[in-house]
Amino acid sequence: MALLAASAVRSCLGDGAATFDRLLAGESGVGPLRHVDPAAVNVTRAHHLPAPAGAAEPDLPASDWLAGCVTAALAAAGLDPATARVPVLVGTGLRELRAVERQAVSGRPVRAARLHFTGALRAAAPRLGPVLTVANACSASGHTLALAADLVDGGSADVVVAAGTDAMTASMLAMIGRVTEEPTERVRPFDADRTGVLLGEGAAAVVVVGEAWRGPVAARLLGVGLSCDAHHETAPSLAGISRAMTDALARARRSPAEVDVVVSHGTGTLLNDVTEAEAIQRVLVDAGGDPYVTGVKGALGHTSGASALMSLDVAIRCLRAGRVPPVVGLRRPLPEAKGLRLVTGAPVRCAARVAQVNSFGFGGVNAVTLVEAA
Amino acid sequence: MRGSGVAVTGWSAHLPELPSGVRLAGWDPGPACPPEDAATLLGRKGLLAKEPATRLALCAVHRALGRPARAGRRAPDTPPDPDTAVVVATNLGNCATVAAVATAVAADGVRAVSPLDAPNASSNVVSSTVAIWFGWGGPNLTVCSGHPAGLDAVALGMLLLAAGRARRAVVVGAEPADPVAAGLLDAAAPLRPVAACVLLERDGDLRLDPVDELTGPPPGEGDLLLAPAGLTAGAVDLTGAVGAGYGALGVLQVAVAAAVLAERGGSARIVCGDPDDGYRTTRLSRETG
Repeated sequence: MALLAASAVRSCLGDGAATFDRLLAGESGVGPLRHVDPAAVNVTRAHHLPAPAGAAEPDLPASDWLAGCVTAALAAAGLDPATARVPVLVGTGLRELRAVERQAVSGRPVRAARLHFTGALRAAAPRLGPVLTVANACSASGHTLALAADLVDGGSADVVVAAGTDAMTASMLAMIGRVTEEPTERVRPFDADRTGVLLGEGAAAVVVVGEAWRGPVAARLLGVGLSCDAHHETAPSLAGISRAMTDALARARRSPAEVDVVVSHGTGTLLNDVTEAEAIQRVLVDAGGDPYVTGVKGALGHTSGASALMSLDVAIRCLRAGRVPPVVGLRRPLPEAKGLRLVTGAPVRCAARVAQVNSFGFGGVNAVTLVEAA
Repeated sequence: MRGSGVAVTGWSAHLPELPSGVRLAGWDPGPACPPEDAATLLGRKGLLAKEPATRLALCAVHRALGRPARAGRRAPDTPPDPDTAVVVATNLGNCATVAAVATAVAADGVRAVSPLDAPNASSNVVSSTVAIWFGWGGPNLTVCSGHPAGLDAVALGMLLLAAGRARRAVVVGAEPADPVAAGLLDAAAPLRPVAACVLLERDGDLRLDPVDELTGPPPGEGDLLLAPAGLTAGAVDLTGAVGAGYGALGVLQVAVAAAVLAERGGSARIVCGDPDDGYRTTRLSRETG
């Protein structure tokens, strides 16, 4: 069984420790949308990383955040980024497609090699490799975590970095803006009055190691379940996401009743939240579980390819701190979630051992992770 | 990036612009419809607003499975097969749509955007469409690692089998040829529409070795060497016949090697990549007796 040696995050609320502290305090990192005309995309708010007022749009932001997280995670695991020869699996929804948009709109050129992350990671840590970019929408880093675990568990590698990163594109913002009348002010996961999703940005990385590892250990990676709905390009399926949850439990050899905390996908959209609530109800609660359910997107926005590993970092901190942050933005739970122990308003204390992290993406790609306190 | 060896049990190449009669290492991949005529192979329903890369990928999978012309999508109420995984290598698939949507939004706002383009804004649209079309509920991955993406996809397909996540992996490479894609790639060979598919399973006599990162010259053994020009002497460089290939090339190389070895036996060494993105290699061999 694989272990997680270290984890690193860069979100709108800061690094992993700052993000967790501010989640406990119920803060949201939402602010005005930058770099894209709000009127053109019908989106006015976003969860951007901090930047000086009036700063120009960075060229390849997802690459920069990713390189920062991967080197930070390696260093936290006690590995030297300058010499570590480690495979890296990068999950992303939108790659650096914003650069393709700027080339189309303003003529600023970009090369195909900059759309994925080999060059950016090799510039930061020259011996890393091979570097694979896996574009699996909003569950991309849940998928790269599964593949990293498979490499370690299968004996193909002793150490693998799984990572996720995403920046916003105007085309994805427009897809969000065109399905709402009024632009969404904030993300309210599992709320009866939710008005839709807002995008976030940033990166996260974890160092996945085998049982022989003698360095620091943040958590045990019990298993990652994967499935594809094969149902609809953008709408989730109860059967598909339930199958990923069941697969995770089977791989982890844990029963539904052993799951203490769920860090949900919780996007604040009509389709996701009802389907996810029903899946948690059916797979966990109806089978004897009663986990606390939280989620980060009201605070961090939807960070797409980075979101699974950002949620995983929060899950690990819940296990270590014995505290679960509230679902920021949730006031009045939707009826379909009435059987779930949603954390609202203030954090709860609990001696949790096992946490589940849900991530579901466009195209019906689902990754569900179970971790245990080290 | 190793996993235990598996077998190639099916293959295809869908190359609409390959001139009739041109063979790839001796193999004739057969005629291929252009993406705009995909309905002649796949059947009419379900192709609305599907990008060329998606259509090319669907055609390649259709042919690797040996399905009859116009067989259509799976019946909508059939539950998906959880034991078949899909891994697609594509870098440029949705770049033209992303560029077009961004241009339309900048000029005319969200009302200028078609909801049918929503799936195409996400880079995994090809693999999710393949899963929906054929009804495959196993893990579904899109690999966008540049030139090595094709063999990276093969490696991940092997990994999914080794980890017990699927019994069959459908590995596809697909790249479109459009002005946005060509402008991004800036390659020595011209960009032409390319798709290829290989089916990976545990058992079979065409054995595929684990995919390794290649940091020196390729190992010399093998009756057939498929590799980029200039990397090593005596190699068959498919890009002369099919165009740059880019992320699809590694899958195409495995498909070509499988077709050749199925006829005559022996072994093939396969290398893809470039100096910036790195190189990957594997070996295919046909067990005899």
